[in-house]
Amino acid sequence: MIVNKVEFIHLVKAAIEDFGRNKVRTALTSLGITIGVLSVVLLIALGLGLKNYIEGQFESMGANLIVVLPGSGFSGGAASFGPGFVGGAEFDERDIATIGRVENVKYVVPAFFKSIRAEAGGEEKMGYVMGVNEDHFALMNSKVLEGELFTKSDVLAAAKVAVLGYSIADELFDRPEDAVGRTVRLESIRVKVIGVVKKTGDNEQDNSIMIPYKTSYGSLNPDKTFWTIYIGVEDKENVEGAKDDIRTALLKRYKKDAFSVTEQSEILSTVNQIFGVINAILVAIGSISLLVGGIGIMNIMYATVTERTKEIGIRRAVGATQKDILLQFLTESLMLSVFGGLLGLVLATIIVLIVRIFFPASINLFAVVITITISSAIGIFFGVFPARRAAKLPPIEAIRYE
Amino acid sequence: MIKLDHVSKSYFLGDEEVKAVKNISLTIKEKEFIGILGSSGSGKSTLMHLIGLLETPSSGKIILEGRDISKLNDDELSKIRNTTVGFVFQSFNLINRFTVLENVLMPVKYFKGGADFDAPKRAEELLKRFGIFERRNFFPNKISGGQQQRVAIARALVMSPKIILADEPTGNLDSKTGDEIINILGSLNKDFGVTVILVTHEHDIAVKTKRQIYIKDGEVVGKYL
Repeated sequence: MIVNKVEFIHLVKAAIEDFGRNKVRTALTSLGITIGVLSVVLLIALGLGLKNYIEGQFESMGANLIVVLPGSGFSGGAASFGPGFVGGAEFDERDIATIGRVENVKYVVPAFFKSIRAEAGGEEKMGYVMGVNEDHFALMNSKVLEGELFTKSDVLAAAKVAVLGYSIADELFDRPEDAVGRTVRLESIRVKVIGVVKKTGDNEQDNSIMIPYKTSYGSLNPDKTFWTIYIGVEDKENVEGAKDDIRTALLKRYKKDAFSVTEQSEILSTVNQIFGVINAILVAIGSISLLVGGIGIMNIMYATVTERTKEIGIRRAVGATQKDILLQFLTESLMLSVFGGLLGLVLATIIVLIVRIFFPASINLFAVVITITISSAIGIFFGVFPARRAAKLPPIEAIRYE
Repeated sequence: MIKLDHVSKSYFLGDEEVKAVKNISLTIKEKEFIGILGSSGSGKSTLMHLIGLLETPSSGKIILEGRDISKLNDDELSKIRNTTVGFVFQSFNLINRFTVLENVLMPVKYFKGGADFDAPKRAEELLKRFGIFERRNFFPNKISGGQQQRVAIARALVMSPKIILADEPTGNLDSKTGDEIINILGSLNKDFGVTVILVTHEHDIAVKTKRQIYIKDGEVVGKYL
């Protein structure tokens, strides 16, 4: 079916004139689609927002992060349980040096973990001691709340200094900021707190006491081994390559299933998959209201066709073809639907802009394109049946209709 | 220009077949002013709808300007209704949600490819000729029956058709107004050479045409009264 531009403008103008004569009915009919589009777009926006939020959380931990763990499989929270939990490699400084030589590797952080009782000024708390190097702070995007972070020379000198996570500092002292300058006892060693980092939201990190890894050698870590090695890579694209290189390098020393090399983005993609499914379900639910809106349009268009039966007959008598009549009604239903859809989109945008104050919801081009496409499709799909009925009316019967 | 060859038209009312037009053969020449006369239910309106391509015959052939209309598709039939034939109905059949001028211009919208003449100017001329130009922005239900029928005639003429089909055009009008309408139709034939086919049940009106055909029970029963 071909309609030229001039004809189309005529059809649209005629439809708008008709809407002007039936403002209330037009508004109510479009409202169905408005609500449908509103709910679909809002659900997409919230789903995207949730995804962005989760991604942001991962990003704060370093998206280009590679984690080397002992044992063959990746297990989510295993790092919390300390060495010895899973059999396999026990990493040491040699491995740090090996990995440090891999191309594109920016940071290598050895991490010794131990669950520990910390004491300060009579207060006692269970926390984690983390023996790491100075790159740890850069890799984890740690932000200083008070004091300063330890440096490479502190690490090399095995300085008895510590940087506290927000929560443990808060529990051991009146205010987290008060921790700076004070001494904390970690079993047999005493360390001086030189800094406190801001809250990360990660329970393990917020309850950690970070000390130079060389400081942990001795009573805390007599074997001089590390539970985990964190690696920061220069660029996102290099993560995959670096992962393979690290694996190859470590295979020279360990058996295949004695260690695992995983990247943060693998976890991220799993999370994204889950959100994709949730999002699809939400959109499916929202689409029900679109369907209802479409049926509303069909209903009104049938009513309009009946109401204008005589008019259709008259138009046929003065030369309108079946196609002319079909297009007249199809244009009306299409425009009802698209009007409703655009209004829904505008409302959804306003709501999203308000919601953004609390939550990172977002509307993307995809949502806009899908809205216009779906509302057009609904207008055509639900409009075609009434329009066909109008077009197929026998002219003379239509003219006699009262 | 119009030739009906053994044309019949029947309907089904439930299971019952109603033969509205039975085996009519008829020739109408160019520039004729012809009256089709018959009582109500005689089949005269059906005959007119067949000539005006609003209905298709059940059997027989209708030849319009040399073309067998049974071989034409919807687009071609619509084009003939648009450009060659103009209808005038008993109940005027104007669209009440459009103004007088919009009603007169309605056929122009359906002229494919756009009008090759100044349609608004022509519509205004017609309205002026029929003395209803001042009513051009009125809605049809706000003007008198006689005025409405003049609007309908203007609409029938806007595409300059060769044939005007008028189905009981005076049926809803008083006799004085009715006479005026018949005079307009007569002058279209006399002054502009339009073929006018007038369907009526009134002898007084039929005698004003140049030739009468009498229809009874769907058949032509006498050509001259």
